[in-house]
Amino acid sequence: MENEPILKVTDLAYTYGNGQVGLKGVNLTIYKGEKIAVLGSNGAGKSTFFLNINGVLTPEKGQISYQGTVINKKTLKELRKNIGIVFQDADNQIIAPTVRAEVAFGPMNLKLPKEEVLNRVDQALNYMNMQDYKDRPPHYLSGGEKKRVSIADIIAMKPEVIIFDEPTAALDPINAQMLEEVLEKLSQEEKTMLISTHDVDFAYRWAQRIIVFAEGNIIADGSPLEIFKNQEILEKANLTKPTLLTVYETLMENQLLPKGCQAPQSIDAFKALFKEHKIPDLEMVL
Amino acid sequence: MEQLLGVGLIILYGLMIMTAIIKEKKNDHGHHHRRGHKHGEGFEMDVHAFASHLKSWNPAFKVAFSVALLLICIILNNPYVSMMVLLTTGYLTMIKGGLAVREYFSMLMIPLTFILLGTITIALDFSWQPINVYSLHLGFFYINTSPEKIIEMLLMILKVFAAVSALLMLSLTTPSSEIIAVMQKAHGPSLIIELMNLIYRYIFILMDVFIKMRNSAASRQGYCDYATSIRTFGGIVGNMLIVSMKKANAYYTAMEARCYDGELLFLEEEKDIRASQIVAAGIFMMGIFLVWWLTTF
Repeated sequence: MENEPILKVTDLAYTYGNGQVGLKGVNLTIYKGEKIAVLGSNGAGKSTFFLNINGVLTPEKGQISYQGTVINKKTLKELRKNIGIVFQDADNQIIAPTVRAEVAFGPMNLKLPKEEVLNRVDQALNYMNMQDYKDRPPHYLSGGEKKRVSIADIIAMKPEVIIFDEPTAALDPINAQMLEEVLEKLSQEEKTMLISTHDVDFAYRWAQRIIVFAEGNIIADGSPLEIFKNQEILEKANLTKPTLLTVYETLMENQLLPKGCQAPQSIDAFKALFKEHKIPDLEMVL
Repeated sequence: MEQLLGVGLIILYGLMIMTAIIKEKKNDHGHHHRRGHKHGEGFEMDVHAFASHLKSWNPAFKVAFSVALLLICIILNNPYVSMMVLLTTGYLTMIKGGLAVREYFSMLMIPLTFILLGTITIALDFSWQPINVYSLHLGFFYINTSPEKIIEMLLMILKVFAAVSALLMLSLTTPSSEIIAVMQKAHGPSLIIELMNLIYRYIFILMDVFIKMRNSAASRQGYCDYATSIRTFGGIVGNMLIVSMKKANAYYTAMEARCYDGELLFLEEEKDIRASQIVAAGIFMMGIFLVWWLTTF
């Protein structure tokens, strides 16, 4: 990405009221359209970081600038408007008595005219394929449906940057797949996305860039391959190697793949590898 | 003579509605299985309100109509009027709204104990002497009553049931959120309205949390005997307080992230009032006053 940074964070520090240190001077630059996975063990500072860049928590030190504007009290609303968070537990996010009112909550807070609110609610519900649910109360929805509502909530606010806090945590495989389709759709629209996750396989196949948090600091920032090949970082951040990468490395070690062959990031790329290098025996096995 | 006319009118009206109920229920047979009942999970009223065919009606109209019926029952204090109200609300909730008869009566019977306890004192008197038509000697005192007193009690029960049925019609056909929205439109105190909205959402979350905790306690023999059950219940309640506070925090964070700045704004849905509904309500009200006039003067 050779364009302007959309979000620039310098020396961001945050300590919780009970003295617990959340962030210890984080520096990060995010560009428009990036797909970033944020990894790190529980309590490493991922959520604290998200709440800081969304403007819910006020940093103790350091500064955040959004599209070149430094954020202060006056411009705080810009930040909240343009950076949306889909929270991990949909039940902690959904507040309104019906799906329609819920999705309208953000746009209403933006003080948009009513027609525009209705318009955005309609679009967001269509986007998430939830049109049939709009009159339902949230407590009669399933877990996957609630997740879709919580994503529609954010889409209706039309933010530039969308943060997903452990989105796949409580989803069954089909719903997780649905989520990945939505992510794909959003990235085609050049939305900038940050996803915190513990699922290294997902991070490996989805992300362009990976940021690793440990003890309130960013300890690594790079492409998925750079991160997952670095054993030291993996150990420091309680991470494991993605299955696909391990398979690739095993094949390479046993010289079943030709030298100089690139590590595949998805199952499809992995399959293509065999077609490309004409390894019929293995293709049959696959 | 007028009395007789009034009674005649009521009976005719009752018959009309009964036939309507029987006819509709025959046509509707096998239809109402598709609606999910959530027995044993509570919140039945909420489920019924969302399933009701009257849900599409304008909520302000429904609130106004049922409150008007309630007031009429109390102010006119006329058994024929009460009967009419009882029949009409039943008709609207069951036939128009599509609620199963059994469900309706189980809802209507909820305040029964309360009503009986409240009205029994009208019929019964305690005294040292037998002073009325019927008196029961119980050692050193008497319980007295008379046919008039019993009739008075029955009429009172009728009136209370009619009033209850008017509000029941509202709550079985209108989701709470819409009733709250009507209050908001009527410029009710915003603090109370926001609290109502939050409480409504929260009840379900707390119930969920409670059921999960109870199940996990039960799976560890937490309810094996009476003393343990009490202790377990206490533990769950204490735990729920902590969970509630955590949840409240998480909620506030999530609301702030979506630009909440101190005022809860929810989108209100516009549902049109049909002219026919107003006309029908008007005619019905006139009917009520006619019956009242015929039977009182």
